Amino acid sequence: MRILLLVVLLFFAEDLQARQAVKPVLSKPKDSMLLKLDSSKTQVKQFDNETIQRYKSQKEFQYGDEEPESLSWWDRFWRSFWNWINRLFGERQTSSGPSIWPKVLKYATLAIGIGVIIFAVFKLIGVDFNWFTGKSKAVDVPYDEHLENIHEISFDEEIANSLQNGNYRLTVRLLYLQTLKQLSDREIIDWLPNKTNSAYVQEMVGENGHEAFANLTYQFEYIWYGDFPVDKVSFAQIQQSFQQFNTTLR
Amino acid sequence: MEQEMFNQRTDLSELSQAVEQIRQQLGKIIVGQTETIDLLIAGLLANGHLLLEGVPGVAKTLSAKLVAKSIAATFSRIQFTPDLMPSDVLGTAVFSPKTAEFQFRQGPIFGNIILVDEINRAPAKTQSALFEAMEERQVTVDGTTYKLEEPFMVLATQNPIEQEGTYRLPEAQLDRFLFKVEIKYPSLEEEIEILTQQHQQNTQHQLEDIKPVLAITQIIALRAVIKSLFVEPKLLAYAAQIVHETRQNKALYLGASPRASLALINSAKAIAAMAGRDFVTPDDIIKVATPVLAHRVMLSPEKEMEGLTTSDIISQIIKKIEVPR
Repeated sequence: MRILLLVVLLFFAEDLQARQAVKPVLSKPKDSMLLKLDSSKTQVKQFDNETIQRYKSQKEFQYGDEEPESLSWWDRFWRSFWNWINRLFGERQTSSGPSIWPKVLKYATLAIGIGVIIFAVFKLIGVDFNWFTGKSKAVDVPYDEHLENIHEISFDEEIANSLQNGNYRLTVRLLYLQTLKQLSDREIIDWLPNKTNSAYVQEMVGENGHEAFANLTYQFEYIWYGDFPVDKVSFAQIQQSFQQFNTTLR
Repeated sequence: MEQEMFNQRTDLSELSQAVEQIRQQLGKIIVGQTETIDLLIAGLLANGHLLLEGVPGVAKTLSAKLVAKSIAATFSRIQFTPDLMPSDVLGTAVFSPKTAEFQFRQGPIFGNIILVDEINRAPAKTQSALFEAMEERQVTVDGTTYKLEEPFMVLATQNPIEQEGTYRLPEAQLDRFLFKVEIKYPSLEEEIEILTQQHQQNTQHQLEDIKPVLAITQIIALRAVIKSLFVEPKLLAYAAQIVHETRQNKALYLGASPRASLALINSAKAIAAMAGRDFVTPDDIIKVATPVLAHRVMLSPEKEMEGLTTSDIISQIIKKIEVPR
């Protein structure tokens, strides 16, 4: 490696010497190098008109006077589209000179239009837009969600249906959700889907009926989350406690 | 009336008694830290390994020792140092001149309760020696597999990663810990109480007074009871949604594994049993979500620079997901 480096250095040193050795020498022009006049006879050549005409008759040499090709329907669409846009947002003269707003409006409308088309296409091909919003894609869960929002449930109807089917467990759930809605409507609790029942019990501390609500929550949790069996007799007791609580709210 | 209506399907009286005894034992020496104590007990009942994190001097090692002392089981302590070798943990084959054969000499990992002190002071090579033991409850050396006795529990302590001379634990190892329990500084009142206790009595002497309250057979039986607790299918979906969201959340570079989902449900069951219920509620899942998930996920660099923690993101995730009812 060192030897290679030495050889390279020596080579460039030699080259440097050689470059230094050759220096340009300026000298006066000799007499033989002076400008002399060309006195030889020149022959002027003329263009052959016939050849020119022959070339002109050939299609390849007809540049400017070609017939324009007829526009395709796509080109015609765009030409009429741009004409329409220009007519729609044509510049108008104001007292203080030409207004820039028609141009701004034109390009804003175009951008919105293009955005809507892209959105529609993405929607059609099923692109997940949650990637932009940071929210996760909804996960399918193995239960019905149509009864989750307490403000959308038709309680009387649903309770009647579940009772008719003898589904006391679901009825207790509906009664509890109905109670939550009533508490929310009276602004006793601040209803939020991500809050747990114990959070609502805590919110009720110091309120009238806190203890009764804690008991209702206890019953609901044992029946709904604990899957404790409810028969007709025990349901009657539970229903009564819900009714009593709701009466105190009125 | 309610208590009469819902007669317990599972007998949790022995468990409640045991939990209360451990709480009392630990409460004798540890001032405050009630949530930490509950998580330690829940980890023990849920058959998990625990990682205790805190700055030096907040009683991490003492808490771990107290849990170990509450159980009548074999206890080993390994001080993790930068030069610790895997064979120092697992054991090694030693040549016996008498028999002219190599004999396996068990390392300190062969025990019921293993206290790994300052776990993040040893390099990744030594950390990986614990992988098989923690997950599969067995050790393989020289092609021979040795089963570890039940119960087997690793209680590890570590200083925060910002501390001098510490390494970040490998993700595979962090995932094997059921909880990361963060031990915070005591409040002013608690600190005064600590000083008063220290001034009046000999804490070391008190530590010696701690007697085991649970036998090995009892722990095994209680763990079986906890495993059998009821979980409503909606709550299984709720736990899965929380874990799934950690994989979708943009603030997280690494989401939680399916092992985390299992850990979430198992530990929620332990919390439910400790509350005297034989079924899980959303509160139980929420209570353990941060200790179960915060150490298994990794923040994105941007969020890390903003000063957020994984616990903050887990809390945000919980607030995003609707509680099933």
